[in-house]
Amino acid sequence: MNERIRIGVDVGGTFTDFVMVDEERDLIYTGKRLTTPDDPSAAILDGTARLLTEAGTDASKVHSIVHGTTLVTNTIIERDGAKIGLITTKGVRDTLEMGKEIRYDLYDLFLEAPPTLVPRHLRREVAERVAPDGEVLLAFDVDAFRKAARDLIETEKVEAIAVCFMHAYRNPDHERQAKAVLIEEFGAMPFTISSDVAPEIREFERTSTACANAYVQPRMQSYLKRLEAELRVAGHTGALYVMLSGGGITTVQSARDFPIRLIESGPAAGAMAASYYSTLTGSENLISFDMGGTTAKMCLIDGGQPDRKHDFEAGRVRRFQKGSGLPLKVSVVDMIEIGAGGGSLANIDSMGLLKVGPRSAGSAPGPVCYGLGGTDPAVTDADLYLGYLNPDYFLGGEMTLDMTTVEKAIEENIAKPLGLSTLDAAIGIHNIVNENMAAATRMHLAEKGRDPRRYQMIAFGGAGPVHAYGLAQILKLNRLVVPLGAGVTSALGFLVAAPAIDYVRSYVARLEQIDWSHLNILFEEMETEARALLVDAGARPEEITLTRTADMRHIGQGFEIAVPIPNKIMGAESLPGIREAFFTAYHGLFERTVRDVPIEAMSWRLAASAPVPDIKLDFSGQSSTETEALKGTRQVYFPETGFTACDVYDRYALRPDDAFTGPAVVEERESTTVIGPGGKVTVDSYRNLICDLP
Amino acid sequence: MDVIALTSPSRAYKLNASRIFPIPGGFMTNAASQNDEFDPVTLEIFWSRLISIADESAAALLRTSFSTIVRESNDFGTVLMDANGDSLSENTGGIPSFSGILPRTLKHFLARYPKETWKPGDCVITNDPWLATGHLPDITMAMPIFHGGTLVGFSGSIAHSPDIGGSLWSADCRELFEEGLRIPPSKFLIEGEPNALLEEIILSNVRLPDQVLGDLNAQVTANQVCGRRLNEFLDDSNLRDLSSLSRTLQQRAETAMRRAIDEVPDGVYHATLDADGFDEDETHIECTIRVNGSDLNIDYDGTSPQINRGLNTVMNYTYAYSAYPIKCALDPNTPRNEGSYRPVTVEAPEGCILNPRYPAPCNARQLTGHLLAGVIYRALAEAIPDRILADSGSAPSMRAVFNGLDPHGNRFSQILFASGGMGASAHKDGLPTTAFPTNSGAGSIEAFESVSPLIVWKKELRTDSGGAGQFRGGLGQECEIEVRSGEPLQLSLLSDRWWHPATGVLGGEDGATSRISFSDGTVPHQKSRTTIGPGMRLHMQYAGGGGYGDPKERDPALVRDDIKNGYISADAAKRDYDVS
Repeated sequence: MNERIRIGVDVGGTFTDFVMVDEERDLIYTGKRLTTPDDPSAAILDGTARLLTEAGTDASKVHSIVHGTTLVTNTIIERDGAKIGLITTKGVRDTLEMGKEIRYDLYDLFLEAPPTLVPRHLRREVAERVAPDGEVLLAFDVDAFRKAARDLIETEKVEAIAVCFMHAYRNPDHERQAKAVLIEEFGAMPFTISSDVAPEIREFERTSTACANAYVQPRMQSYLKRLEAELRVAGHTGALYVMLSGGGITTVQSARDFPIRLIESGPAAGAMAASYYSTLTGSENLISFDMGGTTAKMCLIDGGQPDRKHDFEAGRVRRFQKGSGLPLKVSVVDMIEIGAGGGSLANIDSMGLLKVGPRSAGSAPGPVCYGLGGTDPAVTDADLYLGYLNPDYFLGGEMTLDMTTVEKAIEENIAKPLGLSTLDAAIGIHNIVNENMAAATRMHLAEKGRDPRRYQMIAFGGAGPVHAYGLAQILKLNRLVVPLGAGVTSALGFLVAAPAIDYVRSYVARLEQIDWSHLNILFEEMETEARALLVDAGARPEEITLTRTADMRHIGQGFEIAVPIPNKIMGAESLPGIREAFFTAYHGLFERTVRDVPIEAMSWRLAASAPVPDIKLDFSGQSSTETEALKGTRQVYFPETGFTACDVYDRYALRPDDAFTGPAVVEERESTTVIGPGGKVTVDSYRNLICDLP
Repeated sequence: MDVIALTSPSRAYKLNASRIFPIPGGFMTNAASQNDEFDPVTLEIFWSRLISIADESAAALLRTSFSTIVRESNDFGTVLMDANGDSLSENTGGIPSFSGILPRTLKHFLARYPKETWKPGDCVITNDPWLATGHLPDITMAMPIFHGGTLVGFSGSIAHSPDIGGSLWSADCRELFEEGLRIPPSKFLIEGEPNALLEEIILSNVRLPDQVLGDLNAQVTANQVCGRRLNEFLDDSNLRDLSSLSRTLQQRAETAMRRAIDEVPDGVYHATLDADGFDEDETHIECTIRVNGSDLNIDYDGTSPQINRGLNTVMNYTYAYSAYPIKCALDPNTPRNEGSYRPVTVEAPEGCILNPRYPAPCNARQLTGHLLAGVIYRALAEAIPDRILADSGSAPSMRAVFNGLDPHGNRFSQILFASGGMGASAHKDGLPTTAFPTNSGAGSIEAFESVSPLIVWKKELRTDSGGAGQFRGGLGQECEIEVRSGEPLQLSLLSDRWWHPATGVLGGEDGATSRISFSDGTVPHQKSRTTIGPGMRLHMQYAGGGGYGDPKERDPALVRDDIKNGYISADAAKRDYDVS
């Protein structure tokens, strides 16, 4: 094969990041362009061309481009998607508005409910009803459906239609008839059928997912169409793939049908990169820690794979508050995001206590030290004051940070009102943001029943390596990994991800009452669809791996747990094995077994994937220096020593097998790694920093 | 100067006038405000950490519990208490009735089992309504926490048990003894070992012994997690015990609450509220609120006497559902502990429905207790008009409990969780179909139908049910449920507001009343146990919330929007708002 170049493109809110790997020459290139929000493909085309030129090659050599985008998530957050109509079973059109009928904040009398994507007058009902066992209780009134759709499209001028009927996950017949009507009569109109996008029990979540998908469909469809066309014009003959929220890659066609599955494609790439490093460094259990300007994201990697979950909440009214957003049934990498970043602002609450975040200075005006008019001290300001950041080498020296105004801002706004010294205030800001991140991580582990002592940490993002050592100390982790190029680690995830897709069908039954032939048909359908899609996405049929699980629980319990089940045609003889698998999984989570309460299964899942591409990481394409790694010393604050003369290393001059002991700071363009006193660092053969904490 | 020895030369310590404390993560600060034992950084870190301990304990409970009610209606709580039994931190999402009560229950435990007799691994249990949370299904458990051999605190949890014997959840029992098994404060675990006899007594008195035991163990797990995390915290912080920290945190919370009460003009405020009660025994609540400086007293003198039906609300529950709306209105953001509750006192004459004598039945005490927020807010409406809500149609919660056999012959028991509308405020319309003051959510209809022979044909917003006002009351809902079984099912109804709507405030109108009927035109008793036959449909109409302010002040554009979306009818728009 001649086309040996693969490109990953991450369209973010501010920057579009590029990573290119040339497998022939074993080289990796990275790049950045300002995102072009009006037409994101402009930056993609421009950046790709530049990268190819730098590498001395051209578009015809490109095997594939893998693409991730924030377009979907931003559309949901900004609530500026299409005008859509919803058609439901008679009697339940308000499901979308009533939701779970819960207050996400127990003490806020005036809380704002997450707005629905479809106002009530654009929600229509038609006669039809299916029972939970799939039996048709009331025939589908096709004419009423046609009339409702026509009215929404022609009179109300909606731009897309969502359809959700009760129990359609169990018997999609009525929804399929509805789909036929939409194709036949309104062919060009984008639409979403609930049993296609999320064939899972629970009508609110399914309706919400169908509506969100329809809401972003028109914009994503035209965007992807334009991007494909422009890439062709630019001479690209290779394939274009898209990153899914669960970390797998898929075809553009699948992305056009189900754009909502792209909602977390950017963060998923970060987790895939972390997983890749997990395998590379032999660290089986990792906490992936990605800290940027406004948020910190934590994700658990076990056995080289990120944790995944099958629901997600998008577009929260209150950003970090569970329950304040739209629930979506999509497979995503299971990560937590909290309002802790370099730009998080320090403030004093009504009780006179120091708080940090979730409000952020963003990029404009940014922290005080940017000198762009920010007046409230942010985490980055405290980091600068404590010596962790080099005022003359921020973003590789592109920006000079202003220490004098920082000192004044911390003193005036925080230290004086609290009766602290400026130093103590700066320490407090740094310390509290670390504690906030530690608390969120602990809670995430607790909810999943995991033991923190099993984990090591990998840190990336601009602020991640600055805070990782302190965070690892609080969590009592013994090892920290900081990859080279931590600022672009995330984009690397696009190139180390494999074609992968998750399928699900809900079929609720007590284990001893399962209709096995029905179940076998469900898996057969899922497997056929999965294989076809993965082959389209570039997988070889013989290397596709299939894994089956079921969401099971004791009757009466509300929590389903994922239980591995046999990957073959099943029958009554499979029952004892499945039951034991449930007990094993249950015991693993809860450390006990309840044998006498019957077990039921809710949903059945198939995960299909191709092997991860084998990429060698050689950053020699990146600028490197032949100079001494040890650049000098500067005064840096550590709790164990106070301000002390601390070694400063040039990350690009560190070579495999180099070793040193903290206190130390290691500088690279997009980030700085801080190592506390006694931390023992070695550089591995991939130029990762591996730090063992004392 | 009180100096604690440094334990390791590599750790850093904070110095201030009176004490030395290390800071977790090893960071050092040098100054503190003059009269505090902790500086604002340390205190923030410690406080957050104690709250996450309660939250982690709650996560463990939620993860391992069986009870639908625990999950669907959030009916549980976890609390970390100090060695005196005072609350230090509560789980963030905890039901207000629970977290404030646990320390009181613990004090009853301590009266029975003096502090010095508790051993590591002991676990004391009760469900006595008067000592704990007001009805038998709620199980309270507490365990001691030892650090370095010293008792430093207690972990506590409360959860609604899947079953407690007696009658199923219903409002019509005449005595406590019909309502189920009563467990006096006793040891569920003795130094980590199960108290076999007690366990056997409990399990032989309930319908679902495996699930009940599963949930009791889930509570033990939650308490153990709390204890372990507190020990880690004490190790990290090098604190010997919690006494000075507890004192400081309580003081801060109390100060915040007092400051908030101080902002309410001094005076005596009064309001009354009537509810359906039971047959001729209508519930009448008299509420007098005395605000004096930073003290707030709520007095229910004049309220109806207790009745021989399960609507009686024990004093603990009365207190909790009085303190909660006060906290929401005046000081919603400060984390809660013992200090938060100190400035708020509540009294009710003994023998009234808000302070009944043993053995009054009290299984459906929420039908009375949930009303208190509405009457308290109405009393305070003139004094703090922008801090309160109009009465909520979702108070008290309306429930239908179905029991019987499904077509496979499996026994099922399902509660339909759904809510009426919330009251409006000076800031916005009331939320539709949202519980207040409780926070019970609604489950999925598909999930409900999958585990019961019932079909929900309709579950939709109820047009015109929100009280008119400058801000409209939240809409209630309408449900229609059919029995899809060959056999009749048992049905228990717990409802109110058929004759007493959620009242509007400051010129706002009342919300629509609630109603339950059968498809054959008959009307069941609103608080009764009955049967419902195959093919029959149950119609349930949930009450709307009260409106806020004069309807004539409502923005006509909002009225037209309401008409367009069918939240109100054109007739109602004309009648209530003079908008067409």
